[in-house]
Amino acid sequence: MIETIDLNDLFSVRPLPFNPEEEDFDVIIVGAGVVGCALFKEFAEQGAKTLLIEKANDILEGASKGNSALLHTGFDAPPESLELACIKRGYEEFLRIKDRFRLPFLNTQALVVAWDDEQLAKLDAILAKGRGNGIKDLDLLEPDQIRRREPRLSPRAKGAVLVHGESVIDAWSAPLAYLRVGLAAGGSAVFSSPVTGGEYDGQLWNLQTPRGTFRGRLVINAAGLYGDIVDRIAGFEDWRIIPRKGQFLIYDKSAYDLIRSIILPVPTKITKGVVLTRTAYGNLLLGPTAEDQESRTDRRTLRQTLRMLQEKGEAILPGLNEHKVVATFAGLRPASDRPEYRVHRNERGDWITAGGIRSTGLTSALGLAKHLFELSGLPSRPVDYQDPVVPNISVFAPRDYERPGYGRMVCHCEQVTKREILRALEGESPAGTYGGLRRRTRAVMGRCQGFNCLADVAELCKRVKAKKEGAL
Amino acid sequence: MKRIPVAVVGAGPAGLAASTELARLGHEVHCYERESVAGGMPRHCGHQGFGLLDLHRPLDGPAYAAELVRRARQAGVTLHTDHTLLSLDGKRMRFCSPEQGAFEIEADRILLALGARETPRPARLIDGIRSPAILTTGALQRFVTLQGRRPFRRAVVIGSDIVGFSAIMTCRHAGIEAAALLEEAPFLRVPSLLARGEEMLLGTHVYAGCDALSIEGERGRIEGVCFHWQGEERFIECDGVVFSGEFTPESALLRQSRLSWDPRNDSLPVTQGFGTPHPGIYTAGNLLRGALAAYKCHAEGIAAARSLHTGINRPPAEAIPIATPTLENLDWISPSLVDPTLPHPYLTRLRFRRPTRGTLLTLLNGREVMRSRINARPWQTVTLPWFGQEVKEGDRLELRFF
Repeated sequence: MIETIDLNDLFSVRPLPFNPEEEDFDVIIVGAGVVGCALFKEFAEQGAKTLLIEKANDILEGASKGNSALLHTGFDAPPESLELACIKRGYEEFLRIKDRFRLPFLNTQALVVAWDDEQLAKLDAILAKGRGNGIKDLDLLEPDQIRRREPRLSPRAKGAVLVHGESVIDAWSAPLAYLRVGLAAGGSAVFSSPVTGGEYDGQLWNLQTPRGTFRGRLVINAAGLYGDIVDRIAGFEDWRIIPRKGQFLIYDKSAYDLIRSIILPVPTKITKGVVLTRTAYGNLLLGPTAEDQESRTDRRTLRQTLRMLQEKGEAILPGLNEHKVVATFAGLRPASDRPEYRVHRNERGDWITAGGIRSTGLTSALGLAKHLFELSGLPSRPVDYQDPVVPNISVFAPRDYERPGYGRMVCHCEQVTKREILRALEGESPAGTYGGLRRRTRAVMGRCQGFNCLADVAELCKRVKAKKEGAL
Repeated sequence: MKRIPVAVVGAGPAGLAASTELARLGHEVHCYERESVAGGMPRHCGHQGFGLLDLHRPLDGPAYAAELVRRARQAGVTLHTDHTLLSLDGKRMRFCSPEQGAFEIEADRILLALGARETPRPARLIDGIRSPAILTTGALQRFVTLQGRRPFRRAVVIGSDIVGFSAIMTCRHAGIEAAALLEEAPFLRVPSLLARGEEMLLGTHVYAGCDALSIEGERGRIEGVCFHWQGEERFIECDGVVFSGEFTPESALLRQSRLSWDPRNDSLPVTQGFGTPHPGIYTAGNLLRGALAAYKCHAEGIAAARSLHTGINRPPAEAIPIATPTLENLDWISPSLVDPTLPHPYLTRLRFRRPTRGTLLTLLNGREVMRSRINARPWQTVTLPWFGQEVKEGDRLELRFF
């Protein structure tokens, strides 16, 4: 007997952790992307009564699910900008907490490579801008120095700026850790709750969602791709989000050793350009493109664009064509109609917007959170909590299969065990979406894309869903 | 570290046949399989078409797999299921298992039979949305045969390899309507007896020469597949897409382990005796080049086992690579090395990605030694006969179109 399984319905909606009628919050953060999660961590740690509300059924379902996973120094950020300040502060904060929460981190360093004379002429300016931004560890490299560092790179490289601090992190485990710190420090999070409207009653904001009205003294809008829409609730109508799509290619693990450093191009006004970098999961990543569009959801990939990316990648790294593409994806950056971050506060001081946080948000989030906590004027009453654990899914540390008792290997390509999958489905702040499960475990993310494991993974999800719904 | 005489990695048709044969030849054989159940790919092919040519009786995939496992056990093979090969360094292998976690084994002889898999959607760079309901045939078969699940109601199959038709059969068995089979190439990849152009096959429309394929839908739900065919835009409604064929060896781990590499086959170079450039390491089955029928893998497993057995006391030879620098559309070449110390039943076998005809020259040290007229379709294997002259270490062999 064959039963139907709906692969788009493998997760149950999480129950609300409290009755909205009975709770008022010091701060409500709208949006659980990397910025929302970092804010949640900061405000909860500082003792504020904090609520995180998210439209989707898991964190990182919007802009934060697709990026290049780099920790930036800020060497090329706009001088004297809030963005630069937050990147630098976020970078330092990440270094401070990475060991405590076991966040994967690989200091690969980056090369900004000039491929022609015109670009070569710009390297001095890049160096000067970086130093002006307070980034000390920068060097100019000659072609032979580039070759010694990166022997497989195209010999056409004319020169490069070496940025010592640029690093690779796990862009999914880090925000998950922020969420779990926020929860451990006493914060609450609700999912599947899109904010549909809101009003200020003189003392509190009442934010309406299909699952109830949530009340808070301060709202921080970290709604990413929907930041401009949410901002209209507070009367800010003078800006809008222009989603900027970035398509990426992921190469198989055999390509990981082709380069050591992050390879950056000489940037243009619109974009940092196409990057070639290792990932925390042992692959090589190539991308992104920069395509402005109207849609806030359209993440289609196009063969023509991906081929163009491949050609660019192969021109930089000639051996790349001998390695296989295992995954393609597109991310949407919440760019706005102005190049800078859209961070503002209303006159009453009860609404703060953290909008237009583009590519640098992964790095700047922790710094921005500290900045916005100061801006909020809330008292600092640090909370003691037990440090949460985030399982390691990177290649920088031992994986779960090293230890006995893992049940069975479910995903062979990414070596994900049944124990890891069940923990992600049933453990602390569990996966609420198929993407959320993939981001927590790497299951189905490898070269076979589920040829071997998808049926098994779906069955495990379905069983856990049935168990949870039976328990309700 | 545990040391064993013979390790076979992979318990599909090739690995099981090799293990059984080695055990019958008197070896202590340990066969390692990453799945919880041995048997390999036939385990989830829930249809007939197995056994007749090797076990001499008609069986479906699961029964065929079970019979191979039974024979291996009976021959005295020690089967270790749930054992994942993590890396290979010389003859030291790192495995993990649920009982032990990660551990190392050293083997005097290793036979790798890791099999193959289909190329999924991302690697084909097909346009459109992402959805969990975009599968490969293998994934669909696992849903249907192993879990008893129907992941969608109406499917479009993309890719006309023989396995695409297996995908249609699987759909029918599971009560899924197979709305269409689409092929990007202007020709089908199966003999014309099975399908001719745009005709209906088993109630399914078959379209070759599809351009601008794109998977349409919203928020992970597929609404259909859009494509251009004979200058017209077409849209076929469906809620699932199956990518079939374009098999590729499960060789990534070997490449990461820095074993020698033949990019033509995406796998290890291999001699006519199933040896590799690495002394004591042999390979067999679909790991060599992508998928052939189970009975062929079974036969290769037996042949590899015999070669390993007779070669145990023989010093490794310097094998001669068969170069093909100008052969376009070569899908695979196997063997890709000639071991001059072994008999030569034939020079090599080839497959091309596109219909290919012409005169193929075999050059020994730059001199023509054989001319072969070929007219090959993408599903046909071309066998080049042995050209009758001895070769020795240091010789150069090349295939080139006239």
